[in-house]
Amino acid sequence: MMDWILILSKAFWCGWGAVGFGILFNVPPRTLFAIWVGGAMGGFLKFSLLQLAMGVVFASFAGALVVGICSIPVAHFRHAPPMIFAIPSVIPLIPGVFAYRTMLGLIKLTGVIGPDYNLVLSETVNNGVKTVFIIMSLAMGVAVPMHLMRKESVKNIRLIRRKHAVL
Amino acid sequence: MNQQKNNEAKEFGSILLDVGVYLLSSGASVSRIRITMRRLATTYGYLPHISIAPKSVSLALSDEDELPVFNGIRTTPGQGVNFKTISGISRLSWVASEKDLTLQELRDELNRLIALPHYPRVIVLLAVGLAGSAFCFTFGGKLLEMVITFGATVFGLFVRQEAIKKKFNPYICVFMGSLVASLFAGAFVKAGLNINFEHAFATSVLFLIPGVPLINCYTDLIDGNILNGIVRGVNALMFALAIALGLLSAMLIYNLK
Repeated sequence: MMDWILILSKAFWCGWGAVGFGILFNVPPRTLFAIWVGGAMGGFLKFSLLQLAMGVVFASFAGALVVGICSIPVAHFRHAPPMIFAIPSVIPLIPGVFAYRTMLGLIKLTGVIGPDYNLVLSETVNNGVKTVFIIMSLAMGVAVPMHLMRKESVKNIRLIRRKHAVL
Repeated sequence: MNQQKNNEAKEFGSILLDVGVYLLSSGASVSRIRITMRRLATTYGYLPHISIAPKSVSLALSDEDELPVFNGIRTTPGQGVNFKTISGISRLSWVASEKDLTLQELRDELNRLIALPHYPRVIVLLAVGLAGSAFCFTFGGKLLEMVITFGATVFGLFVRQEAIKKKFNPYICVFMGSLVASLFAGAFVKAGLNINFEHAFATSVLFLIPGVPLINCYTDLIDGNILNGIVRGVNALMFALAIALGLLSAMLIYNLK
């Protein structure tokens, strides 16, 4: 029970992280609420899947994918391209701590080869691979839904229908 | 008659190039730029041929009879990520096709969009600070660490903005931001407060991550715009290196291990 409260509060804060980045990227004010919801949703999915003992890469990918899919109908509704919702919303999922550990590990690897060199090496490789794959899966999660939907078909379909109706 | 047609093509070509370079420098993916430019051109009855380089857009327009009427190239203005421009231009391209805007109206509307104000600086600083402490929480930080991250982010972003204003090299701006933020966070660690400095350090520089180039890099690669994708990816990597360098310098100064 306590775990789920923690997950919910983490999701809540993920939303604020997304909004902060939205403001940094100067998004239109009308999109801010949707970005908060997107960030919170992505965060909730990621942390719940982590809680259910899925891997961190898969959890991040699932979060980003759901954000990417949801950004398409919202884009139509709020009249802004999907990326405006999707990019700020997935930024809280970026693996800052793994990247940091990778960097420190790499610095340690430049030192003298001691007894714990192998340990440091495997930890660094592990953190580095996690960082790269999480970032890749975030980008894929955002980019792929837009391509599956053939870019902006939502809007196109509507226009074509309207034209046919007039004819 | 022919003269007027020529002038119109020139004016429209210039507007279209502006649309392209502003989208490019605001952080739109290559396919979005291409779609938007093509949509506008089709609306006004031209056939566009577009080439998008990392820092410039070139365009050749032909009329309905496929006769060339305009040739031009423009380099990007130096402005950062701005989603308001992207969203505004995307909307404009739809409005233009639905309402049959004249070229003058199109130009006025574009100028208005580009001049739209950013959020006030204080709001940006506070919001990004809040985002920093939010990251700190999601990585397992406690209240004290969140407050430290907030302060570090605000200071770091402030320094970065000042550096951008003084027109330093963009990577050096990020380096300065990262150095100041981690110096701020490190001061509390050095002062002997009982905090987990991994959380404070790792999250205090997260506001500098090049999120837009990173995601656009993959979007471009998937679309087959390999060259643009590689350029954006390397750009993001350079930013990441600058962040790491700032962080390491701070740790070296404080002699933290």
